[in-house]
This record gives sequence, structure tokens and C-alpha cells, in this order.
Amino acid sequence: MKKYLLKRILFSIFSLVVVTGTVMLLVYTLLNRELLFMGDDNYTTKLKESDKQNYAYSQYYEYGYVDYVTFPSWLQQQIDPSSQEYVDAVKTVQEQNVSDEYPRTEYAITFANTYKAKGYQVMWLKARSNRRGLICSGYFIAVKDRNVFERLGTYFGNFFSFDTMWSVKDPNLADSDRYVRWEWDPYSNMPALVGNGTFHRYLIYFDNQFPFVHQNIISLNMGKSKQSEGQDTSELLTMRTGDAVMEQTVLPKDLYTENPPLEESNLDFHTVTYSANVSSYYYDIYGEGNHYVNATLKKNGFTRIGNSFVIGIIATIGAYILGLPIGLWMARKKDKLPDKIGNLYIIFIMAVPSLAYIYMFAAIGMSAFNLPIKWALATIPATAFILPIISLMLPSAGGLMRWIRRYIIDQENADYVKFARSQGLTEREIFSKHIFRNAMIFIVHSIPADILVSLVGAIVTERVYGVPGVGGLLTDAIDTHDNGVIIAATVFYTFLSILALLLGDLLLAKYDPRVSFTNERG
Amino acid sequence: MSEIVRQPFDMAKMKAQQEDELFYFVEQNPEAAERITAPRYSYWASVFRIFFHKKSNIVALTILAIVLLMSFIYPFIAPYDPMGHLRDGIANLSPSEAINKLGFSMEWILGTGVWGNSIFYGIWTSARISLTLSLICAAINMSLGIIIGAVWGYNKAVDSVLNVIYNIIANVPYILLISVLVYVIGSGFGSFVFALTITGWLGIAYFMRTQVLIIRDREYNLASRCLGTPMLRIVTKNVLPYLTSVIVTLLASEIPSYISMEVYLTYLGIGMAADIPSLGHMIGDAQAAWILYPWAFWSPVAISSIITIILYVVGQNLADASDPRSHMK
Repeated sequence: MKKYLLKRILFSIFSLVVVTGTVMLLVYTLLNRELLFMGDDNYTTKLKESDKQNYAYSQYYEYGYVDYVTFPSWLQQQIDPSSQEYVDAVKTVQEQNVSDEYPRTEYAITFANTYKAKGYQVMWLKARSNRRGLICSGYFIAVKDRNVFERLGTYFGNFFSFDTMWSVKDPNLADSDRYVRWEWDPYSNMPALVGNGTFHRYLIYFDNQFPFVHQNIISLNMGKSKQSEGQDTSELLTMRTGDAVMEQTVLPKDLYTENPPLEESNLDFHTVTYSANVSSYYYDIYGEGNHYVNATLKKNGFTRIGNSFVIGIIATIGAYILGLPIGLWMARKKDKLPDKIGNLYIIFIMAVPSLAYIYMFAAIGMSAFNLPIKWALATIPATAFILPIISLMLPSAGGLMRWIRRYIIDQENADYVKFARSQGLTEREIFSKHIFRNAMIFIVHSIPADILVSLVGAIVTERVYGVPGVGGLLTDAIDTHDNGVIIAATVFYTFLSILALLLGDLLLAKYDPRVSFTNERG
Repeated sequence: MSEIVRQPFDMAKMKAQQEDELFYFVEQNPEAAERITAPRYSYWASVFRIFFHKKSNIVALTILAIVLLMSFIYPFIAPYDPMGHLRDGIANLSPSEAINKLGFSMEWILGTGVWGNSIFYGIWTSARISLTLSLICAAINMSLGIIIGAVWGYNKAVDSVLNVIYNIIANVPYILLISVLVYVIGSGFGSFVFALTITGWLGIAYFMRTQVLIIRDREYNLASRCLGTPMLRIVTKNVLPYLTSVIVTLLASEIPSYISMEVYLTYLGIGMAADIPSLGHMIGDAQAAWILYPWAFWSPVAISSIITIILYVVGQNLADASDPRSHMK
């Protein structure tokens, strides 16, 4: 069993990597790169000539298309950036405009040769000036297209990042000041793991928001989103929704004073991150000399993934509660009225496009029960959850009814049932101990998938009701040509579906002793 | 027996009589000797006899015929132009408003859409595109799936290669693959068909492989193999006919599924290009104001639902009829 599991997991990782690689290949090589600049004012109007070219390369680098090194950044590592030599060399590159291929300085030639040897394309995007001065600046850069393997390597190599007390690279922060320790957290009145020199101030903390225990030690780098200003996709998924809430709280500047005063604030101070240069604008709240700033707003809604999960999980549970008994009932009353009505419903669910019945549920819910059909941005009433849940629950209950009915009817005609009957077992006993248990084997396999699917969110349902969930992650990314998120969504969805299949098989093996994944005979 | 006993016993007479009546000489005929007498049975004739025996099937088939005729012929009589009526005051009219304003004609019996377009013409033109798409996709996926599935079930080398591919692809949500493909290769009719068929056959092939594996080693096939029947003949004469009803069942759910898929993807904005009139586009265009202008929204929804339900029901009943076990009376 262990050997099988290990093999299975290794193969799963292999397929995850293959799928991600394939999607990367599709997205990064077959697609026009210029789509990256759709709706980008800098590129389309503001920047000209060399500035524009350099901006394009820097963006390609930012979104993982190319490796890109600028001459100044390379030179900084070679000589002291405050020396005259450095300033002159950079100035030559930035302002000279001669017909040579490279700037005529010793360092520039070395830079060109070093990166050419590494397979880079070295370019001098030349400056242009008129009498009044520079129109656009010059850039000396080395660029190399990333191939799929490198891209895969960097993606999965940087997938997890760990926040340690050495995370912050700030020369002004002395090594002796760095620490990670448990402290009493005045915001939650619980202990919290706090760090200095870590990127996040609070590494482990508790609060009253689901899931109540939060950690910032391990974070996932799933891929940068172009649309939301370079945010990581994992942050996009766990972003809070709803309205900001004002609360009486202690401000960080008063944290270490005695009897700190309470003040109104809508910030969640558990989310502060390190910043090397804090503007004086922050002193009012965070106090002078505090490097941990940029707290995010405290909001009253779930996270985006939380919204999807709450709706999905309740719908799944509801579908089982509804679908199982009705399916059983249909099987018992085969070819009678309940079975016929149930079959009509199943045909309806199977054949009609999902979009159509979701709108039907919305129309009925709105006109008959006066339920809200749009999630307004202001405080979301609990009733807004009802229609999305029903729209997800009723179709999946239909699917369950269909399978349960099929399996029960198949089992009822099996030889072991006739044998049990001939032995004089009661119908009740035969049903609950034999037929039901055997029919459930097939159902058990899909339970993990049903639960995990609710993490992905329901695309159409969420769009129809305007739920701020994660269902639209992929389609929104496609609409906005957000390649980083497309890759992230691929990894996320593929990971969940692999996990669902694996858990389904394990659960099946646990439930049905006849199923074995090893070749040994028991 | 008792009658014979009552008659006076005359052995010689009786013998002569019996031989006269019961036996006569026939010419030796090798051709007739080979013939086995059995009731005439034609598979497809029985399928259709069972199928048409049910009255509801005739009704469903009639509706299907009307839908097909309307979708494939009506657009030529009444050409649909989504932007053709772009003028003031006729956008988003309900049927009664449209008839009052524009006079009674078939064009306006379902009202007008966002651009003053005729919804009635629109749904048939769109249905034609959607039906064509689903028929082409189903044809490609089914034929690829059946052929490859049959080979997959029989050939060990193919089996090991395809199993790995299947295990990788099966992990990826179908919707993800299609959307990424449409995103990358563009959204014309051809590329949409490509996106739906590039991996679509794999699931069907895997299903067929399992079915082939189940009956491959049945006794009658073993016997056939022992007698030296070539593999290709076993597959085409022994295995595939046995699977006809399974294939028809599959087909019955495949064709409507592509119509739903098109509606779904186009609604999400990753379907066919905006200039191709399809049911998905009509629904997508009307959904923003579906409470205000219900006709523009519910008409394409209704027609796509009718098409999918009818195709599904006819297909399922045809599948039931194509199961030879149901031919016995």
C-alpha cells in the first residue's frame, strides 16, 4: 500500500509538472506578447522610443517571459556605486548616442562579453536628445528568452517561500536586533509569534476571523497577477471581501506604552509588513522608527476563497441530504410515479445548459420568495447566500439521484440479493446491510472531489449572482490576458483534481475491503 | 396411440402406408443442405421497430425534425443580421410592442434584442451554428474515440503509452484545457472545434477501452481467435457490434453536451468570436438585463433547452432500442 501510494504521489507530481509546463508553453510561446500591454498607458501613450523598449523588456522580465539584466545593476556589483567611475560609465550609456554597437567604455565591453557568453542578447537602446535635453534615456541591457524548462524550474523552485528572521535585507537593521519569539498579542489577547527582520511582523497569530489561526511563515508564490498591480495569485485568493469595519483598537505606536489609549481604526494590524523606508505619513499610526507598516483593511466578509467554499460546501452537503434519499426512493418505486417525476427532473438537469436553470432558479427565487439575486457591495445579508447555494445544490442533487437510483437497481438484481432473500432475511435487512452498502461504494469515491470542487468555486453561479469568489479566477484572467494567474489557476485546479482522485481512491479502499491497490492476495 | 391400438392390427399394410406418406426421395442439393432455418432477424430493422413502437418517440422525433428544418433551412429564407436593424426606438421591444410598432411578421413575434435585431430569426441562425458545432465535434470525438479506444483495448504497447497520457490529461479540468486553448489559438469556429476535440476524444476512447477489455476475453472471442480470425475482423465483427448500444448511449449524451458547452463558454467570454451568431452569444448579450427584457433572454435559453432535451431523449430511447436484449419478445 505504501509503495503504491508513493508511486501514485510521484506520478501525480509528475503530471502536475507536465500540465503546468504544457500550459506555460502554450501561453508564453504561442501567444502574442504585446497582449501584456493591453490597457497599459505607459506603453501605449506615455513612453516613447528607447524608454518604451526598455519598459517592454522590464515588463517581460516582471511577468516571466525573459531574463533581463541592466548595465547599472550589473556594474553595482562590480564597483562602488558612489564612485566617479560608476557615475561616468552609467552616464555614457544613458546619454551617448554614437553609431557603435556598444558604448565605448571598458565596463560596457566586459558586460557585453559576459552576457553574450551566457547566451544573452546584448542591446544598447540609444538615447535621443534635442537642444533642450534628453527626449529619452539610453539603456544598455542583456535579455534572454526563458525556455519552458527554466521557467518551470524557477516557478516550482520559488513556489514556497519561508519568512525567517533573515528575510529582510536592510543594512540598517543590525543582526543583533533580529529575532523570532512568542509575545503577548494585545489585539487578540493571545500569544503570537512575532519577528523582527522577518517580512511579516506576525508569523503566527489568532483572531476572530475564520480560520482563527493564521500563519505567515510559509507563503505560496503562485504567480504574479498583472491586473492587480503585481499581487500574487495566492493573495488574490485569500483577499478579504466586504466592507471595512471600524473598531476600537490599540495603535501600533502606543503598543509598548503603559495603559495604551484605544482609538478608532479600520486596519488589521496583524498584517503589517516590513518596509525599509517608512514615509512620515505613517508616523501617526505606526509611530516613528517602526518599520512594520502597510496594514490591510479589516473587512466584514469572508475571503474570496472563503465565499466560494462556504457556498460550495453547504451546497454539497445539501445535495447529499436531498439526493440520496430521493434516489433511494426512486429506486424503490421503480417505474411508478415518483420514479417518473424524478427521471424527468434528471433529464432536465442533464440536458438543459447549466446557465439556463441557474437563471430559472434565480427568477423563481426572486419573484416567489423575494430573495436577493445580486450581492450588493454593502453588508451582505445571510439571505444572499440562499440562491447561490440552491443553484448549486439542486443540479448536483439531480446527478446524485441518477447514480444512486442506477446503482441500487443494479444491485437489486444481483445474485447475492436473491440468495439473501432465499435465506429468509427481511427486506429491510437486505436493503440496509447489502444493497445500500454496495451501492454506496460508487458514491463514496466522488465525495472528496465534491468537497474539493467547492474550493474552486462555481464559475457560472458566482457570475450570475455576483458573488466575490474564486470561480472567475481563470476566466477573468483570460479576459484580461493575465498570464501569471492563468498558470496559477492551472496549478491550483490541477492540484485539487489530482488530490480529489487520490483521496477518492483511498476512501474507496477504506470503505470497501475488496478494493486493494496492491497485487498481494489477501 | 390409443386409436392405433383399436384398429385391427395389420402390420404389413400399415408399414406400406406409413412409408408412402412419410418418406419420399429428394435430390441431393449441397446448397440447401447448408441453409439453417431460423426466423428472419435484421438488427437495424428491429431497432427501428422497437423505437417507433413508442408513441412518445414519434412526437419527439417530429419536434426534432422541425427544429432541424428550422435551423438549417429557415435562415436561408430569412437571413439574420445581428446589427441589421440598428435604428432608433426598436431596441429591446417585447413581442407585443414590436408587433404594434413594426407590424405583424414572423420577424417580430419574439420581440427585438439589444440592437433592434429580430430574436426569432436570431434563435434559428444561432441554433444552426450551435447544432453544426455539436454535430461536427461529436462526429470527430466519437470516431476518434471509438477507433483509438478499440486499438487501445487490444494493443499492449498502445495501452501503456495512452494510459500515461490519459492519467495526465484526466487530472486537468476539461474547462481549463478548453479555455486555455481558445485563449491561445483564437476563437474562430475552426479553432473552437479544435479546442473541443483536441482532448475530447480521450475520455470516449478510455471508456471504449474499458468496454473492449471487458468483452475482449469472452469465450466467443477466444474461440474466434483460436480459429485464426484476424484481429481486425474480431474487432469490427465481434466486438464493435456488441458495443452498438453503448456507443449510441454515449452519442446521446455527447451531442447535447457540446451545445451546452458552447453556451457555457461563450457566456463566460471564452467561446466563439463575437461575430459568429451562436446561442451562447444571444444568451450572453441578453443576460445583463434579463429581468428588464425577459424575451431576449428566455427565447434563446428555451430553444437551447428544447434542442438539448429532445436530442437527449431521442438519443436515450434510440440507445434503449439498440440494445438487442430488448428485441426479444
